[in-house]
Amino acid sequence: MTLDTSTATDARSGDPKDGGRSVWARLATWTPYHAMMSLVTASPRRQFLILAIFPIIWVLTQHLGPMLQMLRVSLTDAYPVAPGVEQNLTLDNYARFFADSIFMMPFFRTLVYAAVFTFCTLIITYPVAYFLARHVSRKNQMLMLLLLLTPFWVGEIVRTYAIMILLGNTGALNLALKWLGLIEQPIPFMYTSFSMGVGVVYLTALYMLLPLYSALEKLPKSMNEAAADLGAGPWTRFRRVTLPMSIEGISSGCTLVFLISTGFYAVAVLLGGPSTTVFAETIAGFFHVAGDQWPTGAAFATIMFATALLITGVFQMIMKSLRKGDLT
Amino acid sequence: MMRGNRIFLTCFYWAFVLYVFIPLILMITMGFKDSKFIGFPIRSWTLDWYASVFSNTEILSTFGYSVTIAVLATLISVFVGTWIAVLLEGRKFWGRMVIMGLTVMPALVPGIISAIAFRIYARLLGIEPGMGAIVWSHAVHTVPFVALVVMARLSTLPKSQIEAARDLGADPLIAFVRITLPYLIPAIIGASIFCMLISFDDFVRSFFLGGYEPTLPVLIFAKLRSGMSPEINAIATVALVLTAAIGIWAERFTRRMNKDS
Repeated sequence: MTLDTSTATDARSGDPKDGGRSVWARLATWTPYHAMMSLVTASPRRQFLILAIFPIIWVLTQHLGPMLQMLRVSLTDAYPVAPGVEQNLTLDNYARFFADSIFMMPFFRTLVYAAVFTFCTLIITYPVAYFLARHVSRKNQMLMLLLLLTPFWVGEIVRTYAIMILLGNTGALNLALKWLGLIEQPIPFMYTSFSMGVGVVYLTALYMLLPLYSALEKLPKSMNEAAADLGAGPWTRFRRVTLPMSIEGISSGCTLVFLISTGFYAVAVLLGGPSTTVFAETIAGFFHVAGDQWPTGAAFATIMFATALLITGVFQMIMKSLRKGDLT
Repeated sequence: MMRGNRIFLTCFYWAFVLYVFIPLILMITMGFKDSKFIGFPIRSWTLDWYASVFSNTEILSTFGYSVTIAVLATLISVFVGTWIAVLLEGRKFWGRMVIMGLTVMPALVPGIISAIAFRIYARLLGIEPGMGAIVWSHAVHTVPFVALVVMARLSTLPKSQIEAARDLGADPLIAFVRITLPYLIPAIIGASIFCMLISFDDFVRSFFLGGYEPTLPVLIFAKLRSGMSPEINAIATVALVLTAAIGIWAERFTRRMNKDS
C-alpha cells in the first residue's frame, strides 16, 4: 500500500495555484468543508460523539428494539391493535404456556433435542478438529479445512433437501443397506428424531468445528511432549492436557450449536413428523393464523429465548470453573 | 499406539468429508434423473429438468429477486457494520462492552425467534411484509459479521500511517477515507460476499417477512412441501453451484489480499 503524501503536504502549505492539486487537497481547503470539519473536530469529545451517535442509535433501535418490542407485545392482550379496542397489559400469554401440556411437550422436546444434537455434533467434529490441528502439516491444514467448509456455503434448505434424499424410503441409505443384504424392507428413517438429528448435525457441524479447531491449534505441542516425558500415556495426555486446553473451544462451539438448533424451523418441518413437533413450529403456528395470536407467539418466543440463554449461561459458567479447576 | 491413533483419525476425517459431501452429490445426481419420482436407483438420465428451470420465467425472476435482496441488504449492513467497527476498535469508553454485546446479538438469536421479533418490529415501524422488510431484516442480521471481520482487520492497521497523515495536515475524515478505508477494503469485500451468501441462503427471515413473492429458499421450501420432484433438484443445484463458487472465490480472494498487504 502506498501513501500519497504529496496531497497532504499541498493542503498544508496552502499552495495558491490549483493546478496539480488533488481533489482531497482542494476539499480540505474548501471553506464550507473546512468550517464543518473544524466544528466537528473542535474537541475530542465532540468528535467522539459524532462518531458514536449513529452506531449507538442503530444497535439500540435495530438490534435491541425488536427483542424489546417482542417482550412488550407478549405482555399485551391484543396485537396488532384493532381500532376501537383497548390494549391491556396481561400475563395471560405466559399462563397459557404453563396451563397446557400441548405446549409443554414441544418445548421440552426442543431442549432435549438441542442438547442431544449438540452433544452428537461435538463427538463427531472433535476428532476431525483434533486431526486437523495436531496431525496435519500447516500447509495442508488450510486446504483440508477449506474442503470441509465448501459445502457450508450452500443454504439451509438445499442441504436439508439433500438429507431428505439420503434418508428417504427409496433413498441412498436404504438402497445401500438393501444392496449389502442387511435389510429386506426399507427402514423409515424420515420424519423421525433420527432424521432431524442427522439434519441438524449436518447443518451445524461447521459452527462446532471452527471453535474447536482454533482452540486445539493454539495448544503448544511441547505441552504434550512434556506430559509424555513425565510418563503420561496417550489417554492420560488427552484427558489431562488436550481436553482441558480445548475447553474454551468446546464451550463456545456448544453454545453456538445449542442456540442455533433451538431455532431451526425448516429442518423441523421438512425432516420431522407429527411425533417430533418442536417449539419453533408451535411458535410459528401463532403467526400463520389470525393476528390476535401474536401476543401468545411473542410470549412463547420469549420463554424459549430466555430458557436457551439461561441454559447456555449456566453451561458456560460450568465450563469456566472446570477450566480453572484443571489448570490450578 | 501413536501410529494407530493417526490412522484412525485420518479415516475419521475422510469419513467426515464423505458425510459432508455425499448428500449434496446425491442431490445433484437426482436432478438428472429421467423420471418424476425421487429415489434410487436411477435408470435413465436427462437434462430436461434443467431446460425447464432455465425456461421458467417465474423461477428465473425468483433468482433475480433473491440476488437483489442480497445486494441491497449487504450494502446497508456493510455501511453500518464498518461504522460500528471503527467506533469499537481500539477505543476505550464507558459502555463499550454493552455496545459490543448488542452488536453481535442478532447473530446469536435463534432463527425462529429472530424472525418473529423482526416480524413484530416491522409492524411497529410500518414496514409491510415484502422486499423492504426482508432487506431490512437481512441487513440487521448480517451487521455483526461485518463488524467482527472489519474489527479484526482494523486491529492490524499500523497507527503510524494515520498519525503521519494527520501530521501532514489531513483531517480525521480525509485520513479515514484515504488511509483507513483502503486498508479495510479486503475485509469489506470478504464480509460483503459473506453477507450476500447469508442473505441469499436465508430461509426463516425471508419466510416470515416475505409477501407474496418468494425468495429462492422460500420457493424451494414451498415446492418441497407439495412434493419432491427432480425439478427442485435442478433449482437447488443451480443455487448450490452459484453460492459455492462465490464462496470459494471469496475465500481465495480474501486470503490473497491478506497475504499481499
